[in-house]
Amino acid sequence: MTAGSATVGSMTPSHGGRPAAVAPAIRVRGLRKTFGRAVAVAAVDLDVPAGAVLGVLGPNGSGKTTMIRMLLALSRPTAGTVELLGSPIPLGAGQVLPHVGALVEGPGFHPFLSGRENLRRAAAAEPLLSTPAIPAAVDDALARVGLTDAAGRRYRAYSLGMKQRLGLAAALLVPRRLVVLDEPTNGLDPAGTREVRRIIAELHAAGTTVLVSSHLLAEVEATCTHVAVLAEGSLITSGSLAAMLDGDAPLLDVRTPDVEGALDALCAESVGASAVSGGVRVELNGTDAPAVVARLVAAGVAVHEARRARTGLDELFAQLTEGDR
Amino acid sequence: MTAAATDVAGGPHRAPLTRLLRNELRWVLRRPRTQVALGLLALVPVVIGAGIVLADSPGGGLLTQVAGNGLVLPVAALSISLALLLPLTVTMAAADALAGESSHGTLRGLLLAPVGRGRLLGVKAVGVLAVAVAAAVAVALVGVLTGLVLVGGSDGLLTLSGTEVGAGSGLLRVGLAAAWTVGQLAAIGAVALAVSSATDHPLVVLAATLGAVIVFGVLSALPALEWMQPLLLTTGWSAIVDVLRDPLPYGELLSSSYRAACYLLIGLALALARITTREA
Repeated sequence: MTAGSATVGSMTPSHGGRPAAVAPAIRVRGLRKTFGRAVAVAAVDLDVPAGAVLGVLGPNGSGKTTMIRMLLALSRPTAGTVELLGSPIPLGAGQVLPHVGALVEGPGFHPFLSGRENLRRAAAAEPLLSTPAIPAAVDDALARVGLTDAAGRRYRAYSLGMKQRLGLAAALLVPRRLVVLDEPTNGLDPAGTREVRRIIAELHAAGTTVLVSSHLLAEVEATCTHVAVLAEGSLITSGSLAAMLDGDAPLLDVRTPDVEGALDALCAESVGASAVSGGVRVELNGTDAPAVVARLVAAGVAVHEARRARTGLDELFAQLTEGDR
Repeated sequence: MTAAATDVAGGPHRAPLTRLLRNELRWVLRRPRTQVALGLLALVPVVIGAGIVLADSPGGGLLTQVAGNGLVLPVAALSISLALLLPLTVTMAAADALAGESSHGTLRGLLLAPVGRGRLLGVKAVGVLAVAVAAAVAVALVGVLTGLVLVGGSDGLLTLSGTEVGAGSGLLRVGLAAAWTVGQLAAIGAVALAVSSATDHPLVVLAATLGAVIVFGVLSALPALEWMQPLLLTTGWSAIVDVLRDPLPYGELLSSSYRAACYLLIGLALALARITTREA
């Protein structure tokens, strides 16, 4: 019930709360890919715990898709190793990939077939689907992405968003242990984006590990338990979302009508602070929130509200990718 | 390591091969362009037959033999189509099989399912072969029907050697011509599949394969390059006329079929080598 226990509860699924015997869903060591002289992915190490929802963030051209393609044995690494669900890739791809659903580099379907026929064709290649189970699995996947009404139309007549949904449906044909979605919200309207979030949440609730790449930070913030940030082929940081949001340089937002008084009082204590609308933002370096509030109250400043400012992932992302240029 | 391996329920999983094949054949034969191509091919004997009936003096070569001799028509139609139309149809199917799937992004889906790469090539080869069979059968079948209806001569076949054989033997000879044609087309299809496995652009497959067929034709016409003749696939293509001789000379038919088999093996081997290392 308390805030403290809620924090612990949200942390445990990712760290140490599970038996150590469970292999990470994805384990990447020293992964590197070069095209001629261009380095697309440079020495990436990554562990994704089973059951996590990992958001891979990065600007265009940061190597997200190249990395995902190597994870799925579509492309060979120049160096490094990949393990999916405990099996090495590409050697164990035949065993692992049936359990993996993926939407990579946009949806790929035949224009002259309807959405349903396209999915049936995809389903025929799925090792885990028995032949009699195919029609039901296809209809189920269509329903999950909201395409039931358009299932009979030719793929060529689909809108961008409908194509994207069909691609998502193909990834959901079989109950998966790992789902990899490369920019799943591309071309989707706000309703479609919400549905993708809902689908990811459902997968997460069912214990499926999910890897979502995106350049939309809000997406990642809303759906992920873990984040990995890529820039220019290198993994800049990775970890649980909660830990990253709570990370370094904690800030305290203090709402007060007496901004100048507050700034003076804090300055006297050499605590860094700046004026924001309706109050001050205090840097908690070498001090903590109660001390700051006590100091302000002692100085006669009215404190209406004080709370930790979370650096939005937006801000974090901007810092990480643009900071050192 | 063992705990991790049992994690994904040991042993490779595969979709049943018959399901993949059925699915592929349905996809190949339902595709509008395949149907249009087969329809147009079926028109070839009709056009030739009508032309011969309407014209006072038939054209040169084999066509002079068609008048009043209906069972020659399917063989003539096969021979004429083999020059370009049949290779075009088969190459189109091979171009769509790998390069086309790749350009639509559907090859990725198949590899992710996963369909093993060797199996995928096998399934695709069967699909191309199906188009080759359908194309040869369409020309031969419509040729027989047109020949009997428009040209006449249902009581037998007047061979090039001047003898007459029965209708049954005539039909067998047409069947032999069609089967031999399928063999030649399979060779072209295999080579086209090899190109298809190496590119994302179906047009490249079409240009490269048909370009090769045309270049082969030019090379075989140059007297200075006579030593090259045994190497060229097109060299044996005139052998189809042999089915109209009595007694039937098998030599050329066989040697051209062996040559086709060599092209088939080389094409499939190259395709396999490429598809196993291909990035999708």
